[in-house]
Amino acid sequence: MSSAEPQGSRKRDSDRKTRVHLSVYDRTKFILLFVIVYLVLVWASLAGNPLLSVSDAFNEITRTRTWLLLLVVIEILRQMHFLVSEIVAPYHGIWQKYFQSIDFALHRLSDWTRYRLSRVIKAIIFIALLAVVLGAIYKESPIRALFLAPSALWKTLPMLGQLLFGVFFVVIQFAAMFWFLSRGGVDTYFPDDIRTRFTDVWGQDHVLNRIRENLLFLERPEEIERHGGYVPGGILLWGPPGTGKTLMAESMAGETGKPFVFVDPGAFTNMFFGVGVLKVKSLFRKLRKLALRYGGVVVFFDEADSLGNRGMAPSGGQQRADRAGIPAIFGTSCHGGSYLAPSTASLLLRESFVVGGAAGGGMGGGGGMGTLQALLTELSGLKKPRGFLNRVVRRTLGMRPKNPPKYRILVVMATNMPEALDEALLRPGRIDRMYRVGYPSKAGRVRTYEGYLAKVSHSLSAEEIDKLATITPYATGATIKDTINEALITAIRNGRTSITWPDVIKAKQLKELGPPEDVEYIERERHAVAVHEACHAVMAHRVRRHMAIDLATIEKGSDYLGMVASIPPDDQFTRWRTEYESDILVSLASLAGERMFFNGDNSSGVSGDLESATTIASLMEGHWGMGSTISSHASNRRFEIGSPGGAKGDSSKEPRGALGNRIEEHLSVLLKQAEKILKENRSHVLALAHALETYKTLSGEDVSAVIEGVQGSIVDGRPYRDKAFLAKIETYHKAALVAHREHQTPDVSIPVVKQVN
Amino acid sequence: MRARGYGAIVLATLLLTSCAQPTQRYAASKAEGVYFAVPNAWHKIPMEALNLQEAKSTAVGAAEKLALVKWQEAYSPDSRIGPKETFSLAPTNSPLAFVRIRDLFPDEINAVSYNTLRDVVQPVTNWVNNPTAKTPIYNIIDDHEVIQKGGRGVRTIYNFIVSGVSQTVDQTALMADDHAKIYVFVVRCTTTCYNKNIKEISRIADSFTVRGTK
Repeated sequence: MSSAEPQGSRKRDSDRKTRVHLSVYDRTKFILLFVIVYLVLVWASLAGNPLLSVSDAFNEITRTRTWLLLLVVIEILRQMHFLVSEIVAPYHGIWQKYFQSIDFALHRLSDWTRYRLSRVIKAIIFIALLAVVLGAIYKESPIRALFLAPSALWKTLPMLGQLLFGVFFVVIQFAAMFWFLSRGGVDTYFPDDIRTRFTDVWGQDHVLNRIRENLLFLERPEEIERHGGYVPGGILLWGPPGTGKTLMAESMAGETGKPFVFVDPGAFTNMFFGVGVLKVKSLFRKLRKLALRYGGVVVFFDEADSLGNRGMAPSGGQQRADRAGIPAIFGTSCHGGSYLAPSTASLLLRESFVVGGAAGGGMGGGGGMGTLQALLTELSGLKKPRGFLNRVVRRTLGMRPKNPPKYRILVVMATNMPEALDEALLRPGRIDRMYRVGYPSKAGRVRTYEGYLAKVSHSLSAEEIDKLATITPYATGATIKDTINEALITAIRNGRTSITWPDVIKAKQLKELGPPEDVEYIERERHAVAVHEACHAVMAHRVRRHMAIDLATIEKGSDYLGMVASIPPDDQFTRWRTEYESDILVSLASLAGERMFFNGDNSSGVSGDLESATTIASLMEGHWGMGSTISSHASNRRFEIGSPGGAKGDSSKEPRGALGNRIEEHLSVLLKQAEKILKENRSHVLALAHALETYKTLSGEDVSAVIEGVQGSIVDGRPYRDKAFLAKIETYHKAALVAHREHQTPDVSIPVVKQVN
Repeated sequence: MRARGYGAIVLATLLLTSCAQPTQRYAASKAEGVYFAVPNAWHKIPMEALNLQEAKSTAVGAAEKLALVKWQEAYSPDSRIGPKETFSLAPTNSPLAFVRIRDLFPDEINAVSYNTLRDVVQPVTNWVNNPTAKTPIYNIIDDHEVIQKGGRGVRTIYNFIVSGVSQTVDQTALMADDHAKIYVFVVRCTTTCYNKNIKEISRIADSFTVRGTK
């Protein structure tokens, strides 16, 4: 044995010079079978004729059953051929080459043609065998027997029916139940069934280009396979809801020339154990068939998170816990809670904690019970030979089963919760490419607005559409469609058929804030809410440069009393310390303002603002390196070493506060700053509160107009420059303050703006 | 290479089959449960030929009788002997074995007896009981009862002279246990021929086995 030969590993079939040795049983099994058949026939003929001698019975069978002998002879020759192949390498080589050339010739036909041919041949062989067997039974010619069979079957039907009834009565209940259960949830679309095209997906060109590439490879796999590569088999589209993942899949279905199989999110949710596995298996059987027949197939799993995961692996768990630790909305720099009003942002934040925690501890919902495992195996399991003929008949005859053909299946999954997916599902080979379908770019939003507006009658100019795209930074295809539709409804309700700019703005406010609850505050409370929101707005106007006020309102919504909503004027991907500090100042403005305007009193309405401020301050101190320490709280917690504290080192004897204390310190410094700024802007706050009490809702432009004392788009801010008017407002505030303390109605009514012409 | 392979298969098969000749020719009607064996060299006069010949008969009730025939076949070593010779009573120079199974008419069912069974070829009982001037010269060699699984009856061996030629008949006639059908098996030829082939003829007649329908 040469030393170069690898030890202990079975040789590949292609590396062998001779055939593998057959066992004695494999060598003789067919001969044995034929001998047994022969003996049975002799016995039958002896039993059939009392006069027959044993030797004559043997003679007769030998004479009349020539086919049996023929089979024996063929088998002997075959075994001789095998034996020689096992001993003589050149002989084996010749045959190997011969079969290779046949294989090669066959592979010149396309997979689909071979598949069809083999189906036809199998059918013909089956019918021929059936004819011969029936012919023997009816003692007729095989062809005639084939035509006799149905009538014979018909005659025996009643008996068969009785028999089967007994069996099926029991079995059918289960079978039918499982059959029904394993139906549904999977729709197949053929090319030209769907009219959606890539051109219908707007604002996601970068993802589309990639998908287009995948489809190209699916349709012309040889371009990559010729160079030794393989066709990427899976795409995951993830991103926030409504960003067009499903639409993209639909456009893929429309664009590709291959069948498109759509798997419903609920397809694998079942009542019984094993049905999900059955469904996965039948789905992939279908996919393989379609892939062979049409040379490829695209399968789309919508809401793939419904497939669930198998719980957390030890390594994965840590990461997930961390991810849950950092609130998702602040975790990335490109979007976050900061565009929202502080109260809404804090609400989202709370939710993200709750949801994150639940996801971390849970097993993941969905399919379960082996469904996911079955799916994983089907996606990239063993490439085993398939088909009864291939697996059983060929192996019985001592032939190697043929390898399965290349099934070209492109798996596309869409989810908005990628962290809920099983990690094994996302490994290359299963899901090769993961694309984030984010919020559309501004250009994409403009395109989307234009697209949807083109379907309706409107009077919006290009500038207005551009502005609309700017003030709706996180609009998705779905929300844009919805907003335009809402605007149309507003227009129609007002007896118009054409959408105007105010319709769109109204629709946008309605969609973002929900319908106002039409609750009339009592005067002193209305004033308090107005002052609260005015503090936020004035602070935002003064200190915050990375966000612009979108609107300010004191109309009570479902989950807020009033709000100041902001939007980023530009697509900005990084955030800075000064920006976060201004965010905190805006949040703390409500507390500072309430204490200032209500003589140290403050309402519980600031809770959301404080939570938001504290969260940002904590993250600044512990995560973003914007505090007095450098180490990351996330890492500290992972290694359980606690947050930095204690003595500051040699330079100072002053002990460093614990993390919580440092955050509190930071916040109180900022609160003082907020108080100072508000004191300087006292008249502006009261002016804006007055405007809010008067108009209920102000747009960003109007807020600026009131503070700056200029003409806004709706509200005229010039009266607020009038000292006398401002004094009136101050008087009204004092009265409201008294009423607040005494729980009475203020004795001064709200001053009315004089129209300045 | 492939053609040679097929050649080998055919040759081997032929070699295996050519030496396998049965020693006897087995005639059987599995449906009726009737079996007998004749030497290998004898040729068969098939049922279709016999039926055709019988249909030519103009005798009264011949057609109805033929309709009741379940199985009839004849065997003879002489290829010149055919259906016509089978049904004529003229003596043959080679042995002729003839089997016939026929359902009985309803009136026959009650009338059938061992004597009627003896009389299936020649009215032997009449010859014995009521000899007339027309009675040919005859000699009954053997007459004994035969009981088989499918029925019972008599085997009679006799010779008689017609037109100056002596003929020997070895006949076995059985009646099914339910009287519904009769089984007749006759081996006959000239007495000279019979004596010459007595061993073979006896073996053939002995092989007649009636299992009856299942």
